[in-house]
Amino acid sequence: MNIIEVKDLKKSYLVPGHKKKTFNAVDHISLKIRKGEIYGILGPNGAGKTTTLEMLEGLKEIDDGTALIDGIDVSIDPYNVKKVIGVQLQSNEYFDKLDLSELLTLFSKLYSTTVDNMNLLDQVDLSDKANSKTQELSGGQRQRFSIACALVNSPKILFLDEPTTGLDPQAKRNLWRLVRELNSSGMTIVLTTHNMEEAEYLCDRIAIMDKGRLIAEDTPSALIESYAPEPSDIPVTGNIEDVFLNLTGHSLRD
Amino acid sequence: MAFIGVFIFTGGEPDPIKVGFVDKASNQLSKSFSLLLSEDTAFEVLEGSEEKLRDELIEGELVAIIEIPEVFDYANGSANLKLILDASQVRQLDGIKDSIEKTLLSIEREMRGTDAMFSLEIVDVKARPQRYIDFLIPGLLAFMLMNLSIAGSGFNLVEYRRRGILKRLFVTPIKPKDFIVSIVLARLMIVLIQLSVILWFALLILDIQLIGGLLSMYGMIMLGSLIFLCFGFCFGSIAKTQEAIRPLVTSFTFPQLILSGVFFPISSLPEIVQPVAQFLPLSVIASSLRGIANDGLSLLSFDLNLIGVIFWLIVSFFLATRFFVWRDVAG
Repeated sequence: MNIIEVKDLKKSYLVPGHKKKTFNAVDHISLKIRKGEIYGILGPNGAGKTTTLEMLEGLKEIDDGTALIDGIDVSIDPYNVKKVIGVQLQSNEYFDKLDLSELLTLFSKLYSTTVDNMNLLDQVDLSDKANSKTQELSGGQRQRFSIACALVNSPKILFLDEPTTGLDPQAKRNLWRLVRELNSSGMTIVLTTHNMEEAEYLCDRIAIMDKGRLIAEDTPSALIESYAPEPSDIPVTGNIEDVFLNLTGHSLRD
Repeated sequence: MAFIGVFIFTGGEPDPIKVGFVDKASNQLSKSFSLLLSEDTAFEVLEGSEEKLRDELIEGELVAIIEIPEVFDYANGSANLKLILDASQVRQLDGIKDSIEKTLLSIEREMRGTDAMFSLEIVDVKARPQRYIDFLIPGLLAFMLMNLSIAGSGFNLVEYRRRGILKRLFVTPIKPKDFIVSIVLARLMIVLIQLSVILWFALLILDIQLIGGLLSMYGMIMLGSLIFLCFGFCFGSIAKTQEAIRPLVTSFTFPQLILSGVFFPISSLPEIVQPVAQFLPLSVIASSLRGIANDGLSLLSFDLNLIGVIFWLIVSFFLATRFFVWRDVAG
């Protein structure tokens, strides 16, 4: 059963410095995400990953196409979509004067609900930081707290935008474990990442985007099977990074 | 400009008007006129040559010169006294002319030895002196509540956007009006505390008058703060950065500092700008606070200022909700 159905999704922006010329940041992409899976969107910088995610979250207006989240059309009823999703954004700053427990209370009130703050903090290994301010947390702790904030409404779908960018290996592994745990409870997780290892390790299926287009979508193993370099005399080797570079090229992106 | 306010509102005995006295007749009659004029506490009389006094008048050290003509005696009927002044400097010309005419009349009576047929005692129904500080403090309170409120909502909104906090809130099901109301109410509490410090300092230390009562004063401070918090929201929604919001806010507040009767009465402004100046948001708040503090009006005293306050309250809230579009502001 698909919990997210996206059809011909498009978002265009003006080319910087031009008044009329536009480019498609997301160029008519279609995808279906199954309930309970971890779905990764991979792509170089400027591929349209975050824009796609932000359209699904109702943060950005959809120029063309449709997006159904749990059967709700994002363009028509973004308010109700927000009730069933949890979102962790790339920026993770909060009100300075509130501690973690108070911030969770604030966020739960925004959903007109109440949560057990300690239980939620315990889930993300931050129960000892309940009275700390966010600016006192390390990068990994901040990301885990961002996820805790995204969980206050017990969402059906959790969107994670580059959740491990800038984290050290320990913090990264810790976060992966958390994502797996959440997924094992039945939560659908959609994440964007640059990290090939992360995509390969975590995701049930991966979509690879480049220049606003969806250029490949499948399970990690099927993608490796299809796209990794295949020397004739040795067995198929390589990983998702090889797939990625093979599909998107080696040239540097902004 | 502030000087005029000081001049008009200095309480108790007004400062004497400095006048020059040129005696061209130099006879017994003119000398007794000079003596009687000097005895009048309303005037400080300086005698000297016409040329020297004219220089002092041009430099602004004198307000006017009274000139006694060469022919000045009982035999030649009514004498024509000259009042020489610099009209561009003397805004209170009518008042001075009235004072001098009144003094001339009393001098004439005294010299002729006749009693006045009647005298007029002016009794102020309010029966209380007003000092400049009583005029100034309500205006200053209005000005400060404008600045604090706009900074509280506008500058914070821009900062929340820069740090991605607005974006984070936007992915929750909070509605724009709920967000605006909650920010406005939270900031209102802070502004009230800040203004209370100034108000109580003025009441206890400067001993300003507050005839209309604290309740009305606080009520009007709250209404004023709401107006400017909403305006701050508009500016915070329009401007994307701290650099952009500063000139926007300055272009809103600075003209009002000049035009809204904070430091001097709006009636001192050129007549052509007065109708517009009286209706500016800061003007209606300052006038309302002044009416409560100095004239004993209550919050709900129905006058033009209250209509102005209600008008700006509606307009500012409408603009705040009109300009605050989650998607644009958060993005």
